[in-house]
Amino acid sequence: MSMTSNPSAPNALNADHQPLAAPASGRPAAGRPGVTSDSGPAVSIRGITKHYRHPWTQKVTRGLEPLSLDVHRGEVFGYLGPNGAGKTTTLKILTGLLKPTAGTATILGVPIERVSSRTRMGFLPEQPYFYDSLTGVEYLEFVARLSGMPGREATRAARAWLAKVGLGERERQALRKYSKGMLQRLGLAAAMVHEPELLILDEPMSGLDPFGRRDVRDLILEQRERGTTVLFSSHILPDVEALCDRVAILLEGRLERVATVGDLVDGTAPAVEVRVEGGRVFEIPPRLAPVVERADAGGSTGLRLREPERLQELLAWLLAERIAVRGVTPIRPSLEQLFMAAAEKSAFHAQDVRRPA
Amino acid sequence: MIALLVARNTFREVVRDRVLLGIVVGGLLLLGVTRLASPLAMGEGLRLTVDLGLSSISWLGLLVVLTVGTALVSKEIDRRTIFNLLSRPLPRPLYLLGKWLGLTLALAAVSAILGTALWLMLAALGHAAYAGSISEAVFLANLELAVINSLAVMFSALSTPVLSALYTLGFFLGGQWCDDLRRFASHCPPGLRAMIEGAANVMPNLPLFNMRTLASGGELTTWTHLGLASAYAALYCACVLALASAAFESRDFK
Repeated sequence: MSMTSNPSAPNALNADHQPLAAPASGRPAAGRPGVTSDSGPAVSIRGITKHYRHPWTQKVTRGLEPLSLDVHRGEVFGYLGPNGAGKTTTLKILTGLLKPTAGTATILGVPIERVSSRTRMGFLPEQPYFYDSLTGVEYLEFVARLSGMPGREATRAARAWLAKVGLGERERQALRKYSKGMLQRLGLAAAMVHEPELLILDEPMSGLDPFGRRDVRDLILEQRERGTTVLFSSHILPDVEALCDRVAILLEGRLERVATVGDLVDGTAPAVEVRVEGGRVFEIPPRLAPVVERADAGGSTGLRLREPERLQELLAWLLAERIAVRGVTPIRPSLEQLFMAAAEKSAFHAQDVRRPA
Repeated sequence: MIALLVARNTFREVVRDRVLLGIVVGGLLLLGVTRLASPLAMGEGLRLTVDLGLSSISWLGLLVVLTVGTALVSKEIDRRTIFNLLSRPLPRPLYLLGKWLGLTLALAAVSAILGTALWLMLAALGHAAYAGSISEAVFLANLELAVINSLAVMFSALSTPVLSALYTLGFFLGGQWCDDLRRFASHCPPGLRAMIEGAANVMPNLPLFNMRTLASGGELTTWTHLGLASAYAALYCACVLALASAAFESRDFK
């Protein structure tokens, strides 16, 4: 996925957030089966905006500021943001549930205004609900046929997918008897039953236990292997970090950052932790004190060096002091830390904007 | 074709609802009660049985429309089941058409069960010849319910279940009295007359679907009446569903 390079687009990346033409690190999407590098984007969004106007007060609420981005075919793309950031709004616009106030978008080359843009797409809404009185197989057969599968094929696919998500023994049971986790798995099966080329999943891990999350992760990985493009929103950052080729961070309706997970992490200030034997009384020399944090734990002491290029200097001093070094570990910030940093930056920026000149 | 899928699903959903089962059982009991009450009709017991039997089909059908039809779409929006459908290549007008068709078929099934029960009761009393008039009356009652149902689906797509039920009931009552409204308009000053006549024209002409008086005497209506009523119902439903589709097309599902 890459951001648009149109600098006039209000929500395009600035110079600090360089657009990425293709995944620089992580998995090469084009190398996977069914993925061709010359294909157009699976999702192309240009200046999509959503404002809500209250019918009585005419007060306008901004749901999504002009947003422009592309999702390449075959990649797994994570859409991150806190509650109210505009993630679900974007996904609902793409799936035809919301009409954009302005802007255009295409899905697999078809404009979203056309119903046919949803033929090769599967969608899992956040906390999906189903018809209580239907059975699992009836529901999946119904939605598969709505997506264009012929009758017999739909029945076969419905049974196969129920079995695949571990609900094969409950295919004749009414959905009102399914647990929340089962319904989430059914929702995933419904999104995939017609073997779409693009999967849009809104918080697919929401409300699942660790086993359920693992199952969802495995399903997404499987879809990635067969070349399906996956666009999903999530709050569960370790899952995003494990699955995604690239991620976007959305805050208060604005796109803050789009990059590969690797680039997001690499692009931040790294640190190095040096573990030394514990129990020794020593004092960090004044020249290193500003860049070293000390933490004593158990039988060892950790020295966190904020400027890794000064590692040799720190090691030389430790050797000179005859302090035994147990290990040296490069520390990279997690996606969670990056996300929080971006959120704080955005909040700071918002305060800045509100402050009178 | 895709509307038929939605219709089939709606039909399946409605017939599995206990409300419908309760209404069918209630209707059958009501038929029994009309038979028990017929000796009080002083020689008009048969006429009373047929009239009340056919009326109960219409009123119970209306009850289904008011309880199920007026929540048909709004319930899907509230429960967000609609997200799973409209995110597929399903045009919104066909979705509405499917919902209307599904409930109309369920109403037809209820009418058919109650109509058959009424005829069986009459046949057991030696009046099997009423089959024709009962069939025609049930057919027209179905057309009436299809028209009311189209209004319920339209309001349900645009409003809450309670308001939808009120609007639908208002149109039902207005439709029943549309001839009276026109007569009343003729006594009004020109401006008011145009308004009342306009309102009467917007209301469905429900007396067109009422042949209970004929049927209770064992008489048949004309093919012209049946054809005209069918054409009117088809046109009215098409107009209402087209209006509903136009409004529903731009609706956001937050």
